[in-house]
Amino acid sequence: MTTENTSKISRRSMLRTSGALVAGSAVLAACGTEHHSVARIGQTPEIEKLPDVKVTDAALLRTAMSVEKMVADMLSDKRVTSLADAKAQPIISAFAAAHLADLAALSPMVSARNAEPVNEANQKLMSSYGENALRLVGEGKNPTDVLALTHALESLVAATYQYFVSLTTEPALRGEMMRMGAKSARRAAVAAQLFNGGIKALSDQLNEDGTVVTGTIATFPSAFGPLNAVQVALGPEIPEAPRANVLMDTPSLNSILY
Amino acid sequence: MVNHQVDLPEETATSRRRLLTSLLAGGAAVVAAPFFAGRASAEEIVNAPRDPKDYPTLNDALKRERQMAATYKAAAAKATGDEKFALTLLLDHHDAYVDSLKGYLGTDAVSGTEAALASPSGSFASIAPQMAALENETLAGHTARLGTLVGIDAAKLLASIITVEARHAAALSLLGGASPLAAAGS
Repeated sequence: MTTENTSKISRRSMLRTSGALVAGSAVLAACGTEHHSVARIGQTPEIEKLPDVKVTDAALLRTAMSVEKMVADMLSDKRVTSLADAKAQPIISAFAAAHLADLAALSPMVSARNAEPVNEANQKLMSSYGENALRLVGEGKNPTDVLALTHALESLVAATYQYFVSLTTEPALRGEMMRMGAKSARRAAVAAQLFNGGIKALSDQLNEDGTVVTGTIATFPSAFGPLNAVQVALGPEIPEAPRANVLMDTPSLNSILY
Repeated sequence: MVNHQVDLPEETATSRRRLLTSLLAGGAAVVAAPFFAGRASAEEIVNAPRDPKDYPTLNDALKRERQMAATYKAAAAKATGDEKFALTLLLDHHDAYVDSLKGYLGTDAVSGTEAALASPSGSFASIAPQMAALENETLAGHTARLGTLVGIDAAKLLASIITVEARHAAALSLLGGASPLAAAGS
């Protein structure tokens, strides 16, 4: 008896077809996109946990170093120095040098707390307002911007140290912080007096309607050191429009160098 | 058949000696913990808003501010025009420091008045160097006091006073004829 396979579907061809189907499915599955189902109550996406960081005294000192370096860099920037007149030139270069001296003074304090000293400007603050302020000074080409920016930066440093006092755990270090902060506060007062000098400029100069005269800086803006954002008008003069106002905030949790 | 020799320790892991050693090590760690306070974080200081140990130091600061206010009051009484306005502004600031320190201390504040530290007379420019020197002394005293304060609220208050008194000192020095860099202390 002879057995003849008359079926058109042989075992071999069936296996071959199945293999091709499996391979094809695998390719199609790989080409597909992720399917997002509609969120349901009780269903939450997996959230990556942020690293556990703490605002230590060392982190505050490292951040203070980054702010000192940022201000030294900004006061030494060519867009600022090229606009400075004979009155402002020696002041801003001396102030920049003073910030580098403070940077050096902070370094051993950081090392003593087993942390790495910083020698770079605070990138978060530079991208938030530092670069913008320098760009506006460069575009405005207004020599009065030099002292206005200097006053704002010195006020910022003073406010930074004042704010850090509230976060510092070591009492003695709080005193050191304010020793540094007081230096910047002094420089801020000098910059304000050079911007608009005399005893009339000690407090806010007011218009008849009680508003502050535009383009003036008070040497003593308040009785207590403020912690709000430092505001400074910089950039090109545009007819019938206010100048750009740059807001400079003290470092916060997202700009502290942990 | 291969036989392995296993060396057993002479004493077991739960011996009395080891237990005592562990207890001593644990105790030492607890005692040493405060010495690692430098690693403490800002979260921990929120639990120390005020401390009665600070009151004598804050009363010293209050006394100094009363003396400064009395000095500016004497100077403002003799001045006129814009100069009177400027001296009154400085007097107002020091009065505000007196009020804030008294407010913080409450019933623990020392009462009484203080005599002026000087009797400044003449033009603003002529008395400014003397007032700048007094502001510098006050600033140095407050900064030293700040370094000893335990309570964080008191530290914040004194820090906010120091920031502006540094401005007072520099501006008065400049208006008194010092060079900008000398006034800035650079």
